[in-house]
Amino acid sequence: MSFLFILAPLILLSALGAAALARPVHAALMLALSLAFVAVLYIALGADFIGLVQFLVYIGAVAILIVFGLLLTRPADEAAEAARSLRTQLFGLFCALPVAIVLLNVVASSPELDRAATAPQNLSVAAMGISLFTTHAAAVLAVGVMLTAVLVGAAMMIRDTDPEDLP
Amino acid sequence: MSPLPFLLTLSSVLFAIGLFAVLSRRNAILILVGIELMLNAGNLNFIAFWRFSPHPDPVAAPVFVLFSIAVAAAEAAVGLAIILLLFRHTRTSRINQLNSLRG
Amino acid sequence: MSPASAPTFLETLPLLPQRLIGDALRSLGIPEAFAAAAETAVAAIIVFSLFAGMFALLSLIERKVLARVQNRPGPNRVGPCGILQPVADGIKMLTKEDVVPVSADRLLHFLAPVLIVIPSILALGVLPYGREWVPVPATLGLLFFFAVGAMTELSIFLAGWASGSKFPLLGAMRAIAQMVSYELPLILSATAVVMLSGTLSLPEIVEKQGGWTLGFLPAWNLFTPWGLVAGSIFFIAGIAEANRCPFDLPEGESEIVAGHMTEYSGFKYALFFMGEYLGLFALSSLGITLFLGGWQAPLPGLGFVPSYVWFFLKLAVVIFLFLWIRATFPRVRMDQLMRFAWMFLIPVALLNLPSAAVWHYAGGGLMGWLACGPFLVLPYLALTIHFNRKLAQSTRTYRFAE
Repeated sequence: MSFLFILAPLILLSALGAAALARPVHAALMLALSLAFVAVLYIALGADFIGLVQFLVYIGAVAILIVFGLLLTRPADEAAEAARSLRTQLFGLFCALPVAIVLLNVVASSPELDRAATAPQNLSVAAMGISLFTTHAAAVLAVGVMLTAVLVGAAMMIRDTDPEDLP
Repeated sequence: MSPLPFLLTLSSVLFAIGLFAVLSRRNAILILVGIELMLNAGNLNFIAFWRFSPHPDPVAAPVFVLFSIAVAAAEAAVGLAIILLLFRHTRTSRINQLNSLRG
Repeated sequence: MSPASAPTFLETLPLLPQRLIGDALRSLGIPEAFAAAAETAVAAIIVFSLFAGMFALLSLIERKVLARVQNRPGPNRVGPCGILQPVADGIKMLTKEDVVPVSADRLLHFLAPVLIVIPSILALGVLPYGREWVPVPATLGLLFFFAVGAMTELSIFLAGWASGSKFPLLGAMRAIAQMVSYELPLILSATAVVMLSGTLSLPEIVEKQGGWTLGFLPAWNLFTPWGLVAGSIFFIAGIAEANRCPFDLPEGESEIVAGHMTEYSGFKYALFFMGEYLGLFALSSLGITLFLGGWQAPLPGLGFVPSYVWFFLKLAVVIFLFLWIRATFPRVRMDQLMRFAWMFLIPVALLNLPSAAVWHYAGGGLMGWLACGPFLVLPYLALTIHFNRKLAQSTRTYRFAE
């Protein structure tokens, strides 16, 4: 389990960077880095499929969307984010610290965790596919409908008001 | 000792960092960054419990994480569409300036 | 050639160095894990140096082919028939000054060209080059290929943003929009193959394309209705993913200098080209693996030729197609590019998935063709007629130029 002790600090440091760096693009890149490390952690834990999907979706789509959004809304934010007030920072810290303490306390005080270890298993993609289209078929349909709605909705929202109607 | 408590600690701290990002940022897109971090902390918990605890269904947790990733991607897309629309109208993506409904 | 027979010497020739080194390390009493790691490293070095050599060669061949199409001699000064031109280019690139703009983000500006080469090299690792020659036999090879491919977009963004200058930023935004749009049809067309092969492992996908229909036609995925459509979509989307003409808008010289590479010089610039060409090799190899039967021989009775020879012959043909297209077509416009992806390629690629399912349940053969045909022909006709009508009706208005 030594990989954990290498990966955990990397994940946390890059997440801290994403949360605290002043320049928005740097923060977004740190987010991508952090998500990539989490994907590596998934792969190390035996869930290769999930890790690769995480890489594909988060690095290939979400991180790209975020940096793209940052570029499109550029004029206003660079100076604004750099000069954000100490008060909001303190407020964030004030709210986040108790949550962290409560969560850590829950983890530390759970008696079940230590004796819960079972034989490690590897993820079978075939079993996952069968489960997706039998047990979870309704959920797959729901996610499909949601994704379609998102695609159409986002496209409609952003659509230019005077479309350049050249084929 | 099983690494489960360690993984849970990691995800708790990750969640708190995400919360901190959400609460301390003014830029709407950077708030989205914090939300992604929090979602990842949740996914990490699923995978950790899937790997290190007894369970009846060997693929339930990965399937759930798959759905969660899909929802996170959709959420990022819709969130950014809304932010871009707001930006087009108000020329800012700082949420503390989007207060035109305030009485 | 029955699968039970031992592979011939020629078939395993590319594996020889890695086996020799592995055996030598094991006989020295080095632990198995390290010996296996050394074997993998040697396999990786072989694949990488092979493709790096092919990159150098292609940079010459590309110019020669373009020159031939355009009726001029092309590079012919360095060495006989210009054959040493890549060496001259390499020396030139290495000795040029490395300029970093003042407004650049120095660290990211340095990282971008490095990060752009890595995904292509990683992707080359999981491809099956021959019956025996698979550098890393990953069970999730196809997913791995697309997952590392996702990194390319982020590194292009890094290059554009870190340069701190207008043209790179515009080029990067174009490139990202284009690559995200064309990744969808690319993945959707590959999904059809995964559906019918029932595996994400690339060597297994190639194995499933063995055998012959009617005694002479290879059972490649390309020779099925869904495979033909998916293969065409994959090829077109592949051109766009590799930023090749006619979809080379991100670096359209006549519009935005060199896109995200504008502020790079010297060896960093060469690295961008290397990443691009390695990506081209990787995508073509994946297309060959998915649709053109990988290392399978094209005609019965040619099984005595080592399988990797067929793979690289097919690669040469596909690369030549890329060059031919570059020499023939003019560059498209940005809105045409996006419209083509979202309104034509993606709908057709989506409809192709049910048609693949129909093919499966019809059991292939003539029945399959009859059942699949309407699924693909009717939407194609509808879409093209619709777009043609729109084209005929609209008189062209120029908004930015008179």
